[in-house]
Amino acid sequence: MNGFLYGVALQWKLDLRSRTMLITCYAVPLLFFAVMGGIFTSVMPESRETLIQSMTVFAVTMGALIGLPPSLVETYRSDVKNAYQANGVPLSLGLALINSSAFVHLLIMSGILYAAAPVLFDAKLPEHPGIYFSGLVVLIAVSLSAASVVGLAVKDTANTSMISILLFLPSTMLSGIMFPKEMLPKAFVIAGKFFPAAWGYEWMTAPGFSWRTLCPLLGIFLAACIVCGILLKRIRTR
Amino acid sequence: MTNALEVRGLRKSYGEKAVLKGIDLSVGRGDIFALLGVNGAGKTTALSCIEGLRKYDGGTISVNGRIGIQLQSAALPAHIKGAEAVELFARWNRKTADHSMLAALDTGSIAGKRYQEMSTGQKRRLHLALALICDPDIVFLDEPTAGLDVEGRISLHRYIRELKARGKTIVLATHDMAEVESLCDSIAILRDGRIAFAGTVIELTEKIGKHYNIQIRTDQGTETYGTGDIVASLTAILKSYQEKNAVIQDIRVDRGSLEQHFLKIAKGE
Repeated sequence: MNGFLYGVALQWKLDLRSRTMLITCYAVPLLFFAVMGGIFTSVMPESRETLIQSMTVFAVTMGALIGLPPSLVETYRSDVKNAYQANGVPLSLGLALINSSAFVHLLIMSGILYAAAPVLFDAKLPEHPGIYFSGLVVLIAVSLSAASVVGLAVKDTANTSMISILLFLPSTMLSGIMFPKEMLPKAFVIAGKFFPAAWGYEWMTAPGFSWRTLCPLLGIFLAACIVCGILLKRIRTR
Repeated sequence: MTNALEVRGLRKSYGEKAVLKGIDLSVGRGDIFALLGVNGAGKTTALSCIEGLRKYDGGTISVNGRIGIQLQSAALPAHIKGAEAVELFARWNRKTADHSMLAALDTGSIAGKRYQEMSTGQKRRLHLALALICDPDIVFLDEPTAGLDVEGRISLHRYIRELKARGKTIVLATHDMAEVESLCDSIAILRDGRIAFAGTVIELTEKIGKHYNIQIRTDQGTETYGTGDIVASLTAILKSYQEKNAVIQDIRVDRGSLEQHFLKIAKGE
């Protein structure tokens, strides 16, 4: 196993040892799924059609926006960064490892939801699994890139938590997973379009591939990557 | 044979403030060298430039060999275990860890311990082990014994001597004069961004001038005398005690402490 794969595997284990990732990637999304899955399907039986997608978007958004930034702050706003630099490890490698590990966690969590929802709540499996899974992969990548900006830009964990929640709440509330977007005021619908969750949900529930959903996600991803590059450069020269 | 390290006219400023004003250093292969100076003298800046962690404004730095760096302000993720950290950094450096050196550092005792559970001494040893993974020719140690208890310092000094015995060149930044005296082959003292002294510890004491303290305890009390000529002074002092009919119970002679010599140069006294 080369250094990168070993690093990803080790980071994955470290995430499990750290309660933050365990809670935000697994415990809370599963609890939310257990409670809200029951409520949604009892109050609106038609929600079974999109229960897997909505719960997955919630889990991915939470795991990325709230789970990832503290790991980045721990690495880049502390003396851990010095250990990397002193031992010839590029700073970008830490970012890549943490993101790759988080990607695997979120994929596992999404798999759990995909398998459990039909059994527990008689949820309907996505009609187009290819569209669903490609949307899932893109959503995870874009959400992690946006979360990386927060983790690299913010200086301490207290501020990170606040900013993460400020992004997480509108991201989920305006994405259409809680209630149909048609019920929201137009301004809220427009605001929702700035977050990956809305586009990811639209992609995963669509009957086919559409550039209309890919382009905004790609835009957010590229913008986040550029900002991360600038932030890493600043951290390196600080 | 070329030196392990050659620095010529190294300059570095932070904005308007010149921190290094053209320093020259030479460190021989296999030597233990210490860079000394009071706080703010520019030690850390000089070392960071030499280590390649900081850009410098002018001068030349020639490092002849692979380097390993142990920073004073370095940490690892709280939940990583000692063995995992060693394995991770070894793989990143595409090296197989030198287990005989790791054994000398007693990393086995911290292999299964999480970083957050390690004592300061154990963390230092782990960071030293990480610095040695790439089998460096020159090892930079920044305040290696700061915050360690006596036992920790003694064992770390043993590891440093072990490194020297293996032919490594050691560059230390330290405040600990006892450490310097017991470990170092050569030293340099930085003062106000310039090298105020470079040489051996013995040369340092000679530069300041020979100075001895003579302490004599008699049945009439204890007296201390300072002198540069120990034979003449001691003869005269003993004669005067003989004339006073004092019974000499103990005589102690020591060189002035290295701290005193260091401060004289470092503060320009």
